[in-house]
Amino acid sequence: MKLGGAKLQRKLFIAAFIIPTFLYFCLFTIYPILQALYNSFFDWSGMSQFKDYVGLQNFKDLLQDPIMLNAIGNDYFLVAGKVIGIMLIATFFAIALTRLRIRGAGFFRSIFFIPNVLSVVVVGVLWGFIYNPQIGFLNAFLSLFTKEPVTINWLGFESHSIWMLLPPTIWAGIGFYMILLIAAITNIPESLYEAADIEGAGQWHQFWHISLPLVWEQMKISIINIMMTTLNGSFVIVTIMTAGGPDNSTQVMGSYLYQQAFKQAHFGYGASIGIAILTTSLVTTLLLQWLLRREQVEVS
Amino acid sequence: MTFTVKKTAAGAMAIAMSLAVLAGCGGNSGSNNSAANSPAPASNTPANTAAPENTSAGGGEATKLSGDFTIQYFVGGYGDKWWKQVIADFKTANPDLNIKEEAGPQINTQNKPKWIAGDPPDFVYIDGPELNDRQMAEDGLLEDLTEWMQTATNVDGVKILDLLAQQPPQYGGKIYNVPLVLNSWGVFYNKALFEKNGWTEPTDWDSFIKSSEAIKTAGTTPFIHTGKYPYYINSSILFPAIVSANGNDYKLFQDMGNSDVEAFKSPAVLEALNKIVELRDKGFIDKASVSINHTDSQMLFLQNKDAYIPNGLWLPNEMSKDVPADFKFGFIPSVTQKPGDKVVANTSTATVAIAKNGKNKEAAKAFMQFIFSVKQASKFAELSGAPSNIKGDISSSSAPDFVKQAAAYLTADSTVVVPTVTFNQDVDKAMQDATVALTIGKIDPQGWVDRVVKVVEKVKK
Repeated sequence: MKLGGAKLQRKLFIAAFIIPTFLYFCLFTIYPILQALYNSFFDWSGMSQFKDYVGLQNFKDLLQDPIMLNAIGNDYFLVAGKVIGIMLIATFFAIALTRLRIRGAGFFRSIFFIPNVLSVVVVGVLWGFIYNPQIGFLNAFLSLFTKEPVTINWLGFESHSIWMLLPPTIWAGIGFYMILLIAAITNIPESLYEAADIEGAGQWHQFWHISLPLVWEQMKISIINIMMTTLNGSFVIVTIMTAGGPDNSTQVMGSYLYQQAFKQAHFGYGASIGIAILTTSLVTTLLLQWLLRREQVEVS
Repeated sequence: MTFTVKKTAAGAMAIAMSLAVLAGCGGNSGSNNSAANSPAPASNTPANTAAPENTSAGGGEATKLSGDFTIQYFVGGYGDKWWKQVIADFKTANPDLNIKEEAGPQINTQNKPKWIAGDPPDFVYIDGPELNDRQMAEDGLLEDLTEWMQTATNVDGVKILDLLAQQPPQYGGKIYNVPLVLNSWGVFYNKALFEKNGWTEPTDWDSFIKSSEAIKTAGTTPFIHTGKYPYYINSSILFPAIVSANGNDYKLFQDMGNSDVEAFKSPAVLEALNKIVELRDKGFIDKASVSINHTDSQMLFLQNKDAYIPNGLWLPNEMSKDVPADFKFGFIPSVTQKPGDKVVANTSTATVAIAKNGKNKEAAKAFMQFIFSVKQASKFAELSGAPSNIKGDISSSSAPDFVKQAAAYLTADSTVVVPTVTFNQDVDKAMQDATVALTIGKIDPQGWVDRVVKVVEKVKK
């Protein structure tokens, strides 16, 4: 009886923490998702009192919409570019700041983290000025090496403006993942490296055979996190820097959702784009989990 | 080995750091404007609840108004001074009425749930993002005013329709909203710069091209536009050009507004598009245009880096803080007309309407009768810095000079004043995308037409 009371208390204690969180989650995550799913079956302007049920028509249209297909391509281009760019540089910096014993490591660590503190909007505006063809830093810098002043319109190429969105997003993303990896690397026992040193293993060997396997979990999480934040959040940087243009060439799913739902009065269609973002994120997460699986290496 | 890796790492960090620092410089040297994304930046003038003056006796009102009365108005580039004042006056005239104001730069978004739920404000000013009069009419949100407007008189007993400079738009042959603000699109240039360099101010397409050639030879880029939001070039160049090419008859343009497929296939549209091609092929369009927003393009224009900019008459007001002292705005509503032909002013209006599901339509109608009076014309011009749609001589008012000039342009006989056409939003976006594609040589005029026609056909379904 007494035992039962303790058990009940324990359950109550757990419930006291879980239930509010669960309710919060339902209200602010599950309910909006269900609402979006519901709206995606309607032809609705987003302001009218009346919605027309159209079944799966929005999804059918989605698959035939060239802008949407281009947007999905752009999204995955950004995912690939950011994963490669951020992971390479963040890993390099993390190793450099921990294993290479550079002077002023703490200073560099803070400096690299600064872009993370900035809002994406600020990052977008800042890089907008860097790329500005008339008063931008990039053209001014390049003009130092040429006779004629450089007037490249970095965000105005119809075919590869999406490339120009990579540097700002990578620049803004490095800091966080660098800190994550630094934490992981500093957790690796020093004795492993000492042993490696004695055995004559160089920095490269040490990285490849000690650091990398032992921080793989963190890398996996980083990659998946970059993927998810890119698919869900590229909207901001695109809206600020190019507004999806020129001629929809830099549209991503998020920005196209906004365009359709709030500017062109196709809220139902916008909702179906939202469902597409959710689906692609889920599928890609599962796929990446599977692709990145590795035997766990643990330090005993 | 270790040493070199270390050195490279330090080097890479140094470069990354300096980039970050220089980026900051680049940002600072640019300009001090923030990246406002909504084309008409909100000027948040503190609420100016001026003490009601010139209280009108409310001549037109037979019944006494009471109950709640809700007004939704967007606060953007025109501010809210006029609204505050006119509402205070209306309140004085109707002391039993409980007036609620729902206003602000975000009000259109904030109030959406109310419209969806069928509990909208009684009276709405349709301006700013996310409100589109055509869409609202099609969604059945607005009260049909067709019959009422035929006889409606204002507080002074004058028929409202007779007072309007621009007649109300019609959707499906019905009137739902009445234009309150009357502005115009057009082309701006710096008079001072033109005088200094001896360039002739444009009066038509030929003189515009000739001056552009002289400007280009002098080393200045002739033409910049807001490529990120291409409706600026559409509204100021393409649409007037279509009207000019159609013999100054804007019926064609209105048909386009009603998503009539054949209208888009008219030779006048191709002729107008070829004007943009001419600008493009002669290298007059600033290459920066395609990727920049309105603030950036306007800054470059104010810095005399570009000679012409297509824009709306609100430009001097919008940029008033950044206008150099020696800058003199020159304005012409259109440049695409043949020599000797009339100037075409493509108007830009903001309208007011009554909600179909409003609770106090009587008060809403009375308010409409109250604001469309001659007295409000000059008050509106003074307090909001824009010409109102009420006919009335504002030359003696204290409105800014360019507002008076604009009002003069819009009432002159030598101007073809084109009533504002609100396009279906899909068609509008398709035209914007296609025009940008045209300016960068991705498509030709026929490609523009084909693309847009495809969207129009889909919309018509």
